Amino acid sequence: MNETVLDVSDLEAGYEPGVPIVRGASITVNKGEIVVVLGPNGAGKSSLIKAIAGLVPISRGKVLLDGKDITAAPAHTMVRLGLAFVPQTENVFPRMSVEDNLKVACGILERRQAPARIEEMYAAFPDLLRQRRTPAGNLSGGQRQMLAVARALIVHPKVLVLDEPSAGLSPKFVSMVFEMLSDIRKSGVTILLVEQNAKAALAIGDRAYVLVEGKERHEGAASTLWDDPVIAELYLGQRPLRKDSARHTETGGAA
Amino acid sequence: MNLQFVVDGLLTGSMIGLGAIGVTLTYSILRFSNFAHGDFMAWGTYATLAVVGAIAAMFGKVAPIAPLSFGWPLIVALIVGAAFTALLALLLDKVLFSRLRKQEQAIIAVMGSFGASMALRSLLEFIFTSRPTYFSRAIQIAMPVGFGIRITPDQIALLILTAALVLGVHLLTTRTQTGRSMQAMSQNPALARIAGIDVASVVRVTWVIGAALACVAGVMIGVLVQIRPLMGFDMLLPMFAAAILGGIGSIPGAVLGGLIIGLAEAGAVQLIGAEWRAAVSFIILMAVLIVRPIGLFGVRER
Repeated sequence: MNETVLDVSDLEAGYEPGVPIVRGASITVNKGEIVVVLGPNGAGKSSLIKAIAGLVPISRGKVLLDGKDITAAPAHTMVRLGLAFVPQTENVFPRMSVEDNLKVACGILERRQAPARIEEMYAAFPDLLRQRRTPAGNLSGGQRQMLAVARALIVHPKVLVLDEPSAGLSPKFVSMVFEMLSDIRKSGVTILLVEQNAKAALAIGDRAYVLVEGKERHEGAASTLWDDPVIAELYLGQRPLRKDSARHTETGGAA
Repeated sequence: MNLQFVVDGLLTGSMIGLGAIGVTLTYSILRFSNFAHGDFMAWGTYATLAVVGAIAAMFGKVAPIAPLSFGWPLIVALIVGAAFTALLALLLDKVLFSRLRKQEQAIIAVMGSFGASMALRSLLEFIFTSRPTYFSRAIQIAMPVGFGIRITPDQIALLILTAALVLGVHLLTTRTQTGRSMQAMSQNPALARIAGIDVASVVRVTWVIGAALACVAGVMIGVLVQIRPLMGFDMLLPMFAAAILGGIGSIPGAVLGGLIIGLAEAGAVQLIGAEWRAAVSFIILMAVLIVRPIGLFGVRER
């Protein structure tokens, strides 16, 4: 029943050799789940999922996708392997039309499939259909996020990985983006996301991890985690649990 | 006033424009100014010349095609020469540029291309000497076409070839998956990788297109003017001026920029004096950088 799609074990990763930002993190994502990674600023949340997506060098540990080792796979092969990543910022090609943004992502599909798949994306995101000729750089923040997600979904990924999809959006768009993710999960896509907006993310998530100093310190059901004192201690930093997490008190906090 | 400068300018502009396409593609996709691009032109031309010679040795003298000064051997040789130039660019990228591009600062690759340019040029002089040579010594009679303008059949053929190539490259870059991948690479290389685009293959396509067009431009110069080891290097400033005038990354811009500079050069020769010819592209380059640094079709970088 709980079929594991993504299995990350003991991952150590960082931009510079010898300076790991992710320090032995282990997380799993099961089929059909939304898994949320929370944590204070600088905890290595973004670096963790970028390492999974092949964008940050991994120095130790393993990433398994559907049981297949993808630890050393180059970033451009990830969509073919079934992992689609949506970066936090600069996640569309600004001077290409909405349609070309979708078309360029169809490279791994069979040529005949691409037009139908683009139509499916337009059906799922009618805003994009209306703006199909607009350069992506002229879209509103919310529409841009939609396009970025559609671009990732178009290749039928086994898991959709998002880096703070609500960052920089106005409150109206934030709820729109989370509704969108909830709908995407209902259509059968497995989702892993990193979020600063803990409350909104936990509302749609199934399980969550709290990452502190590059390692997961807590795991729990999303519905109970918000009320768990561990959130306040580790993440909101109201009451330092231990000395080593005390320095997060200044920077920690929900966005 | 004699309007002959329009034809001369369009021809010079075509050569500059074809070369500038490679410059602008290298700059926007590989992110460095390739100063060896002019030498790709010269190498392509000499390669074509060598193939023409080889064909003549194998098949004897071949009659030119009706009104043109050249026959099928030049057409075959041009295709072989373009392929050779593309291979040369790929080889140079493998042994030199790909390593230098990994460095943080683009200036390292630029300086590397300067070195490659000198080496390539000297090697040509070593092999072929610096004495000018020609594809054909036949003299073509220019036909009057009205308004005091005369044009030769060769010139017409090469203008048509330029238009066809520019249209072809434009369609390739805007309508095909390869072209969209190139655009994506130039706009956001990190996202291009995330979207599953194989960066290495886009880099290869970029070199192949740029180098093949450089070869065609060089052969045009060879057919219409003469062949010299310095022929490409002398085109470097006009090509960069055209690419910058048109807006870096824009293929229509590079061609239009080339035509404007070609016409301005030809006009300057007629109106001011031939000694000002070389100054024209420099003045245009300066003016663009001061007035509109992003060029005609350029876009502001983030």
